[in-house]
Parts: sequence; structure tokens; C-alpha cells
Amino acid sequence: MATKKEEKIFAKEMKAAKKAKKKEMKKLGIKPNLTPEQIRYNRNKAILSTVWPIFRFLILFGLCFIILYPLIFMITTSFRPNEQMNDPSIIWIPKSLTLDNIKETWQTMKFGSTALNTIKLNLIASIIQVGTCALTGYGFARFKFKGKGLLFVIVILMIIVPPQITTIPMYLKFTYFNPLGIFSMFNGGEGLHLIDTGWTLYLPALFANGIKAGLFIFLFRQFFKGLPKELEDAAYLDGCGPFKTFLIVMVPNAASSFLTVFLFSIVWYWNDYYMTSSFLNDSATVGLQLQNLSSTLAADLFNNQAVGPRQLIVWLESGCILAISPILIMYIFLQKYFTEGIERSGLTG
Amino acid sequence: MSTAVKTEKAVKPPKEKRQKGMRIPYERRKALYGYAFIAIWLIGAIYFFIMPLIESLIYSFNLTQPTKGSMNLEWNGIQHYYDAFRKDQHYSQYLVSVLGDTALKTPLILIFSIFVAVILNQKFRGRVFARAVFFLPVIIATGPVMEIINGNMSTGGYQGGSEQFSTLFETDLVDQLLEFLGIYGISESLTETITTITSDIFNLVWSSGIQILIFLSALQNIPFTAKEAAQMEGATAWEYFWKITIPYISPMILAALVYTVVDSFVDPSNQVMKLIMTQESSWNYGYMAAMAWAYFAIVGLALGLIAALISKHVYYEV
Repeated sequence: MATKKEEKIFAKEMKAAKKAKKKEMKKLGIKPNLTPEQIRYNRNKAILSTVWPIFRFLILFGLCFIILYPLIFMITTSFRPNEQMNDPSIIWIPKSLTLDNIKETWQTMKFGSTALNTIKLNLIASIIQVGTCALTGYGFARFKFKGKGLLFVIVILMIIVPPQITTIPMYLKFTYFNPLGIFSMFNGGEGLHLIDTGWTLYLPALFANGIKAGLFIFLFRQFFKGLPKELEDAAYLDGCGPFKTFLIVMVPNAASSFLTVFLFSIVWYWNDYYMTSSFLNDSATVGLQLQNLSSTLAADLFNNQAVGPRQLIVWLESGCILAISPILIMYIFLQKYFTEGIERSGLTG
Repeated sequence: MSTAVKTEKAVKPPKEKRQKGMRIPYERRKALYGYAFIAIWLIGAIYFFIMPLIESLIYSFNLTQPTKGSMNLEWNGIQHYYDAFRKDQHYSQYLVSVLGDTALKTPLILIFSIFVAVILNQKFRGRVFARAVFFLPVIIATGPVMEIINGNMSTGGYQGGSEQFSTLFETDLVDQLLEFLGIYGISESLTETITTITSDIFNLVWSSGIQILIFLSALQNIPFTAKEAAQMEGATAWEYFWKITIPYISPMILAALVYTVVDSFVDPSNQVMKLIMTQESSWNYGYMAAMAWAYFAIVGLALGLIAALISKHVYYEV
């Protein structure tokens, strides 16, 4: 298969050759001898190549607008004073700008400390999870062993079965965490109380069973399958064991895929509110704060009066802006790794 | 590789005796290393996935009463399942509506994302930006942000949000278009279907981020030789699409289909999931587990059926 670069060179050469041929024909005064079919084909192609870009622009512009609409809505509502929400003469551009909404929402959400806490949880869980998922994916990609197919079915099941089914048994496990009776030896038969601690997220991540772990294992398996086998064979011949080979040869080669999976892991941990709301009772993460924002806002700003969602819009949207801004900034700078990482991984392989 | 090891063994047999591990044949040793690599995950999967899964299946056949760190169980047979389907006012109704919804949405999402992926795969200025925008929903839409946005835009007072889109494609427009084309009095249901599709364009676009990515990666893996041959033969873009593109990306159509169906079924904002979650928050674990298991049995059945139907038509390049 031709690489991208070769493709480009080929297209360039073709163009140049066509041009040269046309020039020569003109010089010699020969008219190209084309069948009517060829003429029709050429004409259709010429028409398409002028009209299509315009259509393409319109289609893409419209769709991009649909996607960006909520973001634009978010920005324009969260920076306007609340009174201007009811002004029918204002749709997009407010008459004056204010930062009060953001400030008040920041206080209600205790955004500074919550964000720090969320980042801490995210980073630790994601780093551990990427490491263990990579190990598992490599095991599935490069080794033959009995029951591999059956075990991989479990990985697929992990992708398909939603966490809602397994949450309650997990919750019970975490309230008195006591696998095989190990911890009851230390503190008299109770086990460890893990609910409300970060361990509810770290432990599954440590055993490659965190949020969307199945998908990450699958991705890593595809990544490693795509790497040439000669790399490892060389390492084996030089006397590396499989684990050393994995660490020294395979990991550096798959660095960009590690980054991709890591970024996705961060995004999903950041956006998650189901797992965290089940295992962490206080509003410890940004996702949870956002989920409860309308009630906390009503309590903080309106003294618990019943307020309709309409009156809260500016604050709710400010909360959304606060909540997505870290992820959005990360996305803007590392966009390449999100999309190209998946594309190049040979998900299709 | 294995021959290399064998020759090594042949050259120095005395050393082999000293190293105990070397006595295991190479293939077996590699298999053992394979188990070692997945051991961490396997332990985790058994403890954090398989066991909870089985436990929840057991709950679904029992009356449950949470106690300190465990569940008090009282055998209840299939009563929960019976209740869910025969006594619950909403369950069956919601189930049918979610199934219907998915059946309508899935082909739309697939067609739309293939279309967008083909466009994004062309070379033009601003392609990077367009890709970044189309992938944005994956970053944002998974969180609670989306719920707030959707809620706000529909309660947003002035002709806000998604309704504004709907009005762009209001029924009248469809009717007028049909009338303009000289089609009168075609069944109400057709116009209704078109209207639901167009008014849902917002959700359609927002839920096809991953699928677009999957198709983009598939499109880029179409061998250049196929493209070149088609060009030589003078294939039009239309022919190229049906005879080259579709067969080459057909395995990914299957993958995207499965993804779309799963995504739509487990979406926490669909009615059945909401029903299940309310049971959870009112501590009816057994009943909730029964509902969830029945739901996912149906989902699994549907998935298997679709996959079996489609996989016959999938083209794999050997």
C-alpha cells in the first residue's frame, strides 16, 4: 500500500504530466482525439469539481453550526446579566457583559477545590488504568494461549454491559472491602471501608477494570497488533524477556497511542457522574457538582425558594462553561492526538 | 524465532539442565507469559466484573434487603420478571418505544456518518478544523453538561435551542415541498416520519462523533491501488462509492452499527434506563436487576440478530 507521501507525489506527477502533454499538443496543433464518452466524463468531472466545493462548504458550515450551537449559546448566556434573559430584543449579543454569573457559580460549585480534587482522582486513575490496560492489550495481541477467545469475549462484554448493572454489588463490595478475607485479619472481621475514598476509582483502574476499560484494552490490542513483529523478535534474540521487551521496545513505539488512550481516559473520568455519584457520597467531583447544580443554586442564591429552570439559566450555563473548560482547553491543544491517534491506530485492522 | 532457540539448545545442552525454566517448551513458555500479561486484568475482571454480574443476576430472582456489607436474599423465583412485564405500567411501553427509537435512529446515524466521513476524507482547506468540530460531541456529550444544555435550550424562553432547529424544518415545510413536487395527500405517516427525522437533526449530529471517526479511519485504509484502478477505468464518484468504498468499509459498518445500537440502549437518558435508575434509588435492587437483565437480554438478542444478518454481506479483504 502506498503511503500518504507517495500518494501526494503521485498526484503531483500526474498533474504535471497532463499539463505537459496538453502544452505539447497545443504546440503541435493537435486536438485531443476523444470519444464522446470521454468528453462527457471530462465535462461532468469539471462541473462537479467546481460545484461540489461550494456544496461541501454549505453542508459542513451548517453541520458545524449545529454542533457549535450549544457552545455559542453557553457563552452568550453565561456572560450576560440575568435580567437580559427576558429581554426579547436580545437573542445572541447581550447589551452588557458581566462576570458575576461565573463568579457566583464558582462559589456555589466550590470550583477551585472541586476541580483540584477531580483532577487528582482523574490523573491517578487514568495513569494506572492506561498502564494496566496496555499490559492486557499486549497480552491479547501477541501471545497464544488456551481460552484466549473466551477471555476476549469478557473484554467485549465489558464494553457492552453498562456499569449500571454491576454498580450495586460493587458498592456492597466496597463498603466492607474484604477479598478472600485478607483485611478481616487486621481489623477484626470488618474489612476496609472504601466508600467515599478515591480507592473506589483507583482499585478497578489498578486491575484494568475502570471506566471504559474494555474499550481501552481493545484499542491497545489493535495498536500492538499493528506493530511489526520483527521488533520483538530482535529484542528476544538479544536476550530480553517478554516483560523487558514490552517496556523497552513496545512502549516507546506505541507512545502516541498511549497518549490517545490516556486522553480519552481523562475525558471519560472527568465527564463521569454515575460511578462517582454511586461511590462518592459528597459532591466531590465537577461532574457531580454540575449534576446537582440547580438545587445547590436554588439553595445558595434564592434561599431555597422554588425557582424555575428559566431563572437559573445564566448560572447553569456558567457552570457548564466552568465544567467543560479544562477539557475543552486540553482538546484544543491536543486535538491531533484525539482524532489521529484513533485513525492511525488501525482500529480497522 | 523458535528455530533460533532450538539451535541454542542444541549447542549448549549442559546449560539447559541448570536453568529450570528453560525446560518448558518455547510455545508453552510463551503461553505462560501471555497469561502473566493478562493476569492483572483477569483478577480484576473476575472480582469487579464477573462476580458483580452474577450477583446481580441472583438478586433478580430474590427479594433483597441490604444489610451491613451484604444483601439479605429471599427466593422469589421469576416474580420480578413477571411484575416488570405484566404489572409495571411503563416498562413494556418504554421498552417498545426505546426499541423503535433505536431502529429508526441507527440507520440514520450510520448513513449520516458515512456521508460526513466521506466529505471529511476529501482534501480541502479547513479540514482539520472541521474534523475537530465534528469530534467535539464525543468530548462533551458524555457528561451531565449535555442534559443541562438540552434542558436549557428547550426551556430557554424565547424560541430557544433545539426547537429553533425544529422550526427550521417544520411540518409545513415538508408538506409544502411535497406539494411543490406535485405530491398531494401522501399518507400522514410519511410526513410525520420526515418531520421526526429533521427535527431530531441536532441529536443525530451530536450522537455520531465516534461513528464518523470509525468511518474516517476505515476510509483511509482503502488501498491506493483500488483508487488508482477505479480512476483508470473511468469510474464516476458515484460508482466509486458503491463499488469501492462501501465494500472496503463494510466491516466497519458492522462495528459502527453495534456501537450505535449499544450506545443508544445504554444511554442514561433513555426511558428504560431512567426507569431502572429510579428503582435503584428507591432501593428495589432485586426488581431493578430483573428489569436490567430482561432489558439487556433483549438488547443482546437484537444485536446478535442484526450482526448475523449483516455479517453475511460484509466483505473482508484476504
